[in-house]
Amino acid sequence: MKEYNFFLGCIAPNRYPGIEASAVKTSRKFDIELRDFKGASCCPAPGAFGSMDVNAWLALGARNICLSEKEGKDIALICNGCYKSLFEANHRLKADPAMREKVNSILANIDYEFQGSVEVRHLIDILYNDVGPEKVKESVEVPLTGLNVAIHYGCHLLKPKFDRTFGSSERPRFFDELVEALGATSIDYKEKMMCCGAGGGVRSYKMDLALDIANEKLYNMNQAGADVIVDVCPFCHLQLDRGQVEIKEKFGDVYNLPVLHYNQLLGMAQGMNPEELGLDAHEISVEPLLAKIL
Amino acid sequence: MDEEKRIGVFICHCGTNIAGVIDVKELAEYAKTLPNVAHAQDYTYMCSTPGQAMIRDSIKEHNLNGTVVAACSPRLHEPTFRKATEEGGVNSFLFSMANIREQDTWVHMEEPEKAMEKAKDVVRMEVARASMLEPLTPKTVPVEKAALVIGAGIAGIQASLELADAGIKTYLVEKEPSIGGNMSRLDKTFPTLDCSQCILTPKMVDVERNPNIELMTYSEVEDVSGYIGNFDVTIRQKSRYVYEDKCNGCGKCQEVCPVSRPNEFDLGLMPRKAAYVPFPQAVPLKFTIDMDSCIKCDLCKGEEACGDLEAIDFDKPDELTTVKVGSIIVATGFDMYDVERKEEWGYKVFDNVVTGIEMERLISASGPTGGNIIRPSDGQKPKSVGFVLCAGSRDQDEEDGAKPYCSRVCCMYSLKHAHQLIEKIPGCVPYLFYMDIRSFGKAYEEFYYRIQNEGGKFIRGRVARITEDPITKNLTVTAEDTLLGTPVEMEVDMVVLANAVVPAESTQKLKTLLTLSNSPDGWLLEAHPKLNPMSTTTDGVFLAGMCQGPRDIPDVVAHAAAAAAAASIPIHKGSVTLEPIYAIVDQEHCGGCATCIGVCPYGATELNEVDSKLVASVNEAKCKGCGTCGSACPSGAIKMQHFTNEQIMSEIEAFAQGW
Repeated sequence: MKEYNFFLGCIAPNRYPGIEASAVKTSRKFDIELRDFKGASCCPAPGAFGSMDVNAWLALGARNICLSEKEGKDIALICNGCYKSLFEANHRLKADPAMREKVNSILANIDYEFQGSVEVRHLIDILYNDVGPEKVKESVEVPLTGLNVAIHYGCHLLKPKFDRTFGSSERPRFFDELVEALGATSIDYKEKMMCCGAGGGVRSYKMDLALDIANEKLYNMNQAGADVIVDVCPFCHLQLDRGQVEIKEKFGDVYNLPVLHYNQLLGMAQGMNPEELGLDAHEISVEPLLAKIL
Repeated sequence: MDEEKRIGVFICHCGTNIAGVIDVKELAEYAKTLPNVAHAQDYTYMCSTPGQAMIRDSIKEHNLNGTVVAACSPRLHEPTFRKATEEGGVNSFLFSMANIREQDTWVHMEEPEKAMEKAKDVVRMEVARASMLEPLTPKTVPVEKAALVIGAGIAGIQASLELADAGIKTYLVEKEPSIGGNMSRLDKTFPTLDCSQCILTPKMVDVERNPNIELMTYSEVEDVSGYIGNFDVTIRQKSRYVYEDKCNGCGKCQEVCPVSRPNEFDLGLMPRKAAYVPFPQAVPLKFTIDMDSCIKCDLCKGEEACGDLEAIDFDKPDELTTVKVGSIIVATGFDMYDVERKEEWGYKVFDNVVTGIEMERLISASGPTGGNIIRPSDGQKPKSVGFVLCAGSRDQDEEDGAKPYCSRVCCMYSLKHAHQLIEKIPGCVPYLFYMDIRSFGKAYEEFYYRIQNEGGKFIRGRVARITEDPITKNLTVTAEDTLLGTPVEMEVDMVVLANAVVPAESTQKLKTLLTLSNSPDGWLLEAHPKLNPMSTTTDGVFLAGMCQGPRDIPDVVAHAAAAAAAASIPIHKGSVTLEPIYAIVDQEHCGGCATCIGVCPYGATELNEVDSKLVASVNEAKCKGCGTCGSACPSGAIKMQHFTNEQIMSEIEAFAQGW
């Protein structure tokens, strides 16, 4: 069994507890235990902090990594924003001794020191590279045959390319393969790699613009015949789920496209019930989806 | 060595370059205090005629037997002062140069006191070295009156014609079945709009007819040994499976051949047979059978095809030929950047995204569409075409293999494409997304204005991405218009990526064979970027055209002619003088361990049996005097002339005296 410190982030536990629950439950099927990560703080948010003061951003991120270093555990997470903060902090501080020294001088105030001894992994990376689509397929009890999935990778998962290890940032396939392993169809839609509109502080600063971007994205997904949107980031999740309610109020456009985190979709395919995956906490009703699957 | 050393030291002011930073008078006075110095003086410009005369006369007046000039880099004026020393009656190798400009007053101009200290160190060291120098005599070797040109694009063609016309036997080697290179792929040339084939084919025919040129197509250089004046070159003539002397170019083999393959010449846009010539104007017009795709059906050998000519032989082997030449010109051209790696532009994913060279074939009358410009997805004429300039050039993205340099041809050929679109498709609008339009040549800027007036639209901004409408296959180009300061999105029917030129893959092997190096950008390194761009650091090997760096056709032709002129000099002189700065092996002490064989970057060391004992020797002509073998030799048997251990140790000791 492989154990990880499970970095929850802020949005998942506060808004979509089902994402947290589904991650823990589905991982156990692959002998992966996501443990409580004691003492972890906000990642911190890459747009809000990283844009203002890189050293502060890296130091706060490094503090979380240091906590896990003390326990000798790698970190697993389920949010693209947390991934950007923690993966990049870990990646950069390992590679750049000057930056590491600068950050360590800040951490010295709390008697912490970044060692560079653990890895920061997105759960989707673990599922694809360690577990693999074949084993994911083997875990399926309810194949999602005939389900049209509009996949949303999310920007921070893949970009900047030089600071990631996924290869193609424009036409990646790994997420698609993991969705197809569940028996579902990953549909191609216009501007698939487009941003959800929330990141970089846009949702907080300029809601109209953020929703306009999300609206275009939702329109394209809907045009391509999507039954469900699947993401790997609670913030994208919030934008695409809660955003549909806001778009309806603001622009009058109605999509009613259910939004699931990949681990929730995986849980469905593994035969878990919607309540234990927290699907009832979503703004957009998942009923039409359940009718189609079950 | 027993003779008393009397060294003269000459300090150059170099105007204010040196004298503006340090006190040259004080330096001259200091030099007088050094051991073996019999005379020291300073002067404004030592390299001037009076400066040289001063050295010559001082040698006689003060009975000097060694000289040191403290001035600039030996790369600039070592030959000048050697000559002045020689004129004074002293062997020119008893001169040593102290660099107190590039390595001192230029870099330490903010700290004149420390610069002075360093100047004293350098002068003291060179005086010590000059006291240890030994007289040397340059060697002269005869030169073979023949040349080799590798690559028969426009650069190789031009260089060969120049050499042949100067009466030099020239071997022209080309790896493809025909000469002509990339220029033969082009439709028209900027800015004059003359047809590329029309101006190139007469030269190709001249090559074939010139009695001084021996053309070897479908051939590659396999091995090179020897040195300037005396290169032995082994050339592999790959089998065409067709006897060139029997083939009359009738093309009947091609007609009956049932195999269809993408034609490399047309970048795969058009098919060819397994029996083929790459394009109709090929020189030589001899057919080649591509054995990788041939199914050996024997139809080409039949009565209706080659028949009695009996030119085809499936068992014809490769042939190895050895030629002896005095000089070599490398003209191996370029490849195109693999723009597929720029995923954001969707090349090879979206049907209607093509590259600049593919556009040339689409415009060309001999191309796949007979000169009708159509978009690949549906064969319709495009009414709007986006151009992405600097596609892989002027780009810091190492991850995608993009190049930081300017490719120098893309702006101009894109302007030319824009003109041709407007001319051939009424109402078609070209949109050029550019960083800067670099219209640097004669009549180029005028051409730029012309295209603006003809209706070309210019948007200053790099293209961030291209997306495709899955139904119409139209493309949306997204960029930032940096003049308006706003993002732009534009739907177009087709996009042309003006992709970068990159060093040719096939040049890599030659680099090792000819001991050439490359600049950080990957292009072959010239002897001097400004004053000797056609020579290399390997004597007798010259560069022509794009292999040295991006340039357009007129510049390639000029460069090739310059390379031919440079390559003909040793041949016309009939002999070359070799620097005596080479290693010599004391065979008494040599243990035959072969360490020196492995470390020599120039292949100049070899192991021979002398008196039933294995000993190393150094080929004086090949040796560049780098000293690697000397420092590697475990028994100290190798002496590096002009840089002996004693000479270098004396410098180090003199330096240490300053501490």
